[in-house]
Parts: sequence; structure tokens; C-alpha cells
Amino acid sequence: MTSPFASMLEGLTRQRGVRASLVVSERDGVIVDASVRFGQDGDRVAALAAAMYRKARLSSRAARLGAVSFLQLDAERGRICAAGGAGDLVIVVVTDPSANVGLLRMEMLKTLERLA
Amino acid sequence: MSDDISRWSDELARDPSSLVFLQLGEALRRRGQLEVALKIAMRGLDRHARNVEAHDLVARIAVDRRDFARAFDEWETVLRIDPRNVGAMKGLGYVAFHQGRIEDAEHYLTKAAAGGAGPEVRSALETLRRSALDGGAAPIPMPAPNAPSSASDPQYLFADVLPDEDQTALLLDPSGLVMAGVYLDADGNDVSSEIGARLSGISDEVRRSTRHLDIGAWKAITFETHAAVVAMAPTADDHLIVLAASRATPLGLLRRLLDRCAALAADWIAGAGDRR
Repeated sequence: MTSPFASMLEGLTRQRGVRASLVVSERDGVIVDASVRFGQDGDRVAALAAAMYRKARLSSRAARLGAVSFLQLDAERGRICAAGGAGDLVIVVVTDPSANVGLLRMEMLKTLERLA
Repeated sequence: MSDDISRWSDELARDPSSLVFLQLGEALRRRGQLEVALKIAMRGLDRHARNVEAHDLVARIAVDRRDFARAFDEWETVLRIDPRNVGAMKGLGYVAFHQGRIEDAEHYLTKAAAGGAGPEVRSALETLRRSALDGGAAPIPMPAPNAPSSASDPQYLFADVLPDEDQTALLLDPSGLVMAGVYLDADGNDVSSEIGARLSGISDEVRRSTRHLDIGAWKAITFETHAAVVAMAPTADDHLIVLAASRATPLGLLRRLLDRCAALAADWIAGAGDRR
């Protein structure tokens, strides 16, 4: 059976440099749905990204900055992007350093709107 | 200083109409307790609305809080009460300069110089005029109204790198304690410690994530909220630099500012090591 998120996630994973895209529950880090290329551990990505996003949300609340809509982690050999703010679900994407983050950000925020 | 503050606090508690709030507010400002200083000054101002020293105190606290609009209003009030007040002219010149209103800055500094301000004002004025002739290329040493308290205060470490009021930065040590910089929320409350504690938690998560996902060392994390964009990066000795700016700030500019703050912080940490 295909989940309602499958086509959205496949659309994200087709973007250049994307290794994995997932819909994750921020509260417990569990995968709701995922489109993951060979070699990526979806459960681990989901848990880590959800924890990171939750920390960002809590610190943003402490600073009275409002809800976190997009988060981007840049590392030497890859990136993790997460979009959320509409309930418990967070869209997470893992990319190569070469991925076009601007385009990806736009697609993720659009996807999030459709989830809401 | 602590004894004086206790004594002045007691005196003010005994007699709320006492002018000792001026000394107490100034002492608290110099210690960096800006929110308390502002409360004391505002309560004093409620009872002494035409006291120029009270307005001047509020203006100087506002400058320390980088609330230049408020500082400008207070010094304008001082000039309405006392049109020959040189300190207010100097303060208005300083604020106008920081707001990029160079002609206004020249106007107020000219008035201050004519009114008998010190040589530092005349020198700043000459440089300001030369710079205008050169097309604004030369840096201008502007006399700050609060220079004695801010020159060596780590709270102001990033003040020169972050000229806009809506930009703020913190340097956190590996345990999340604030080493330098300040973080004020929308109401002007100092929330540096709380932010430090929360954000140091994010860097722990980031380290775990990058290690487990084998994507190398992390270079930066950026997140967008309804009100701001926040960027963080590791710097020397496992310290963390945190920068926040308004949503209107382009992300490219944010990253450049983050790099500059990180370089400044690394130099400062190295200097702190040398001083130890």
C-alpha cells in the first residue's frame, strides 16, 4: 500500500544530490514514511534529525523567536535539511554538499504546506 | 561597588523619591545589569520627569542595549529641557552616526564642539568632515557616550561586526555558558544564559548526528523561525558562536557575518588564553 507521502518524498529524492527524504515524527523520532537510497540508515537519520529539530524549536521558544520553519546543518561531506512547524511532522532530507539547497528548501516548504 | 549598590538600594527603598537612583542606575549599567538599571532609571524618571540626568541615564542604558531609537528620544528630551546640554548633543551625534545619518551626526557634533565638548569630539568632527570629502572611505573614531563601560566588556565583543540593531551574537563555552556577547529578546530582556543552555544542547545533537551519519565535521547550522534567522558554528577550543538576525537578513549575509564573528571569537579566546 502506498502512503499519502510517497509521491512527495519521491519528488524530493529525485532532486540532484539528495540521498534520502523522510517524514518524521518530531516528538519521538519515528519514521512516518521514507524514500531512502541504498546505504542510508533511515531510522538513524530520522532519530537524529528529529532530536536536532526539537532542540532548535526549544531554543527558539526560549528566545521567543516563534516556530522553527526550516533548519539546515552543513557538514564537510553532506547536509541535513529539515522543514516543520505545522504540527508534529517534520520533513527531513539528507544531501551531498553539491545539492542546491535553495531549490530544495523551496520544495520542502511547499511539501510541508501540502501536509498541513 | 557591591557595597555601594546595596547602600543605594536600601536608601532608595527607604525613600523612593531620592535622587540616589541616578547613582544606583549608573552603577548597575557599568556592571552590565542593563535590565535592572533600566527599571531603576524609569522608576526614577516617573518621579523626576524633568530631571536631565535621569533622561541622560536612560539614554546611556539604551545605547548599551543597542536601542538607539530610545536613546535618541531621551537625549532629544534632555535638549528640550536644557538646550545647552553638551552631553546630549554628543550623544545625539553618536546615535545619528550609528544610524547612518552622517549629516545629522555632523550637526550635533558641531553643536557639541561649539558648546565646549572635549577634544575627542572635535577630532571626530574633523575626521567626519574629511571622510565626507573623501567619499566616506576613512573609518571614523566616534566618541562613544558610554566608552568607559563598554571598551573592555566582553558583552560588546561583536558590536563592531554587527552594526545593525537586529543582529546579535553570543560566544558560548563548551558547557553552554556565555563568554561574550549578549542576546536580548524582543522586549529587551537579556536571555543570553537561557539561549546558551538551549543552543549548546543543539551542538551536542549535531555532533552525534554528523558522527553517526559519517558526513564529516559540522561547519554550521542555520534555522529560520517566524521572527529571526539563527546561525551557529563551532569555533576555537570547542566554543560555539551563535548569531541571530531579523528574517529580512539574506542567508548569504548571515553566513558571512557568522564567519566574521567566529574569527573575532577565535582571536578573543586566544587573547584570553594569553592573558591567563
